Amino acid sequence: MSEKVGLTGLTEAESEELHRNLIQGTQFFGMIAALAHLLTYIYTPWLG
Amino acid sequence: MLRLSRRLVEGWAELGTRFLPFADAATPELPLSRLLRLSLFQVSCGMAMVLLMGTLNRVMIVELHVSAALVAIMVSLPIVFAPLRAVIGFKSDTHRSALGWKRVPFIWRGSMVQFGGFAVMPFALLVLAGAGQSAHYPAWIGQVAAGFAFLLVGAGVHTVQTVGLALATDLVREEDQPKVVGLMYVMLLTGMIVSAVAFGLLLSEYSPGQLVRVIQGAAVVTLLLNVIAMWKQEARDPNRHQPRPAAQEVEFQDAWRLFRSGPEAMRRLLIVGLGTAAFSMEDVLLEPYGGEILRMSVGDTTLLTATLSAGGLFGFWAASVVLGRGYDAFRMAAIGAMVGLPAFALVIAAAPLDSPVWFGTGVMLIGVGGGLFGHGTLTATMRAAPRDQVGLALGAWGAVQATAAGIAVGVGGILRDVYAAATEPVLGYIFVYSLELLLLVVTITAMVPLVGWRRGHATRNQAA
Repeated sequence: MSEKVGLTGLTEAESEELHRNLIQGTQFFGMIAALAHLLTYIYTPWLG
Repeated sequence: MLRLSRRLVEGWAELGTRFLPFADAATPELPLSRLLRLSLFQVSCGMAMVLLMGTLNRVMIVELHVSAALVAIMVSLPIVFAPLRAVIGFKSDTHRSALGWKRVPFIWRGSMVQFGGFAVMPFALLVLAGAGQSAHYPAWIGQVAAGFAFLLVGAGVHTVQTVGLALATDLVREEDQPKVVGLMYVMLLTGMIVSAVAFGLLLSEYSPGQLVRVIQGAAVVTLLLNVIAMWKQEARDPNRHQPRPAAQEVEFQDAWRLFRSGPEAMRRLLIVGLGTAAFSMEDVLLEPYGGEILRMSVGDTTLLTATLSAGGLFGFWAASVVLGRGYDAFRMAAIGAMVGLPAFALVIAAAPLDSPVWFGTGVMLIGVGGGLFGHGTLTATMRAAPRDQVGLALGAWGAVQATAAGIAVGVGGILRDVYAAATEPVLGYIFVYSLELLLLVVTITAMVPLVGWRRGHATRNQAA
């Protein structure tokens, strides 16, 4: 693992971890949003 | 503008030091403002508990006409995650992170999960109730969705609270731990009281739209409070990013064995469980007891909750002051359990004497005793925790505490119903209160060797 520091002052490993968290968060929030939409559709269907 | 807000913040902090009993919790390394900010995660936990146990419990039964049994199952679902607190705490102790964090990632994920649970919850509840067009779909969709939402919120609360307390323990010096524990308890209670009032006002005019607004609002507030709470709190540990050699990787079983081998570790956990059960079983029975048996008005029974909270606040405050001087924490917990004895005796005696005053006094003493007991056991846990097992120790405490409380509340209600049906209503209540008295006696008995064993330690602390 290189200890190269980029423009932001983060090392490569650090930015990778940050990125992983960002991706995981996006996936989780995306799934939650999809579930909420599904349940809302069951409750009151739109474009019906 | 920036300067103005900074001055305002300084003003608040100064105001705090002057008027708050916990002001001296601030150490040179950790000013009061930062400690108060950290304790905001307890406000969000308190809010979630009130919403699940109180507000939604009522809304589901009264407004959504869901069967009481189904509501009871949904509301108790989060308890299944309570024992996992020990594992969560352990994971955060041993977390490897390039960013050098071990607590923040868990608080963040916990907040996210709690947010997610609240985000889908209102729709899940509406579908569960078969409202709108949802009656055309099979019932299991609503049940699974609502169960999932409750589980998410529960998992979030358990994670945030366990790791948040571990972070607080990491940050303060040992002699300041009692005050931090006091502050954490007070903030939890504050969050519960404020949000109970707020939810009551917001949902006084029920509509499906309002339900969605309130629960999703709670989701946003959760995320905001927790992000503000953890912002820039944990220092980054540069040693943490080096991946550990596989041979040094600690397994949970090994860590748990090490923790168990600590002085009287299992006896301590048993005491936490027994005492918490003793102080929680009456939780949902006090108000109906006042109304049904002592014929108090609705307004008066609502005052009971305030009385109980006031007693609890006094208990936390007194414990903070006394433990801050180095008093042995387990002795404090024992005193709390002893305060519980006359408290429950007063509550029982109120029925034959038909005396709401005795009842009110007893309820307040239950609050005081429970406050002293909770504060004492948590402070003792913090003091006894090895530096590299803080998360595991607090997780184990929280796991036992939350599981015991959850089971005790459920069992208390069931026992009251069963016993009251077999005999008279008043005997159902008195049976449960007597059982709590018995549990307190068992708790105190179990504490005897521990308090004696700690005597040398206590005097050493007092001398320091």
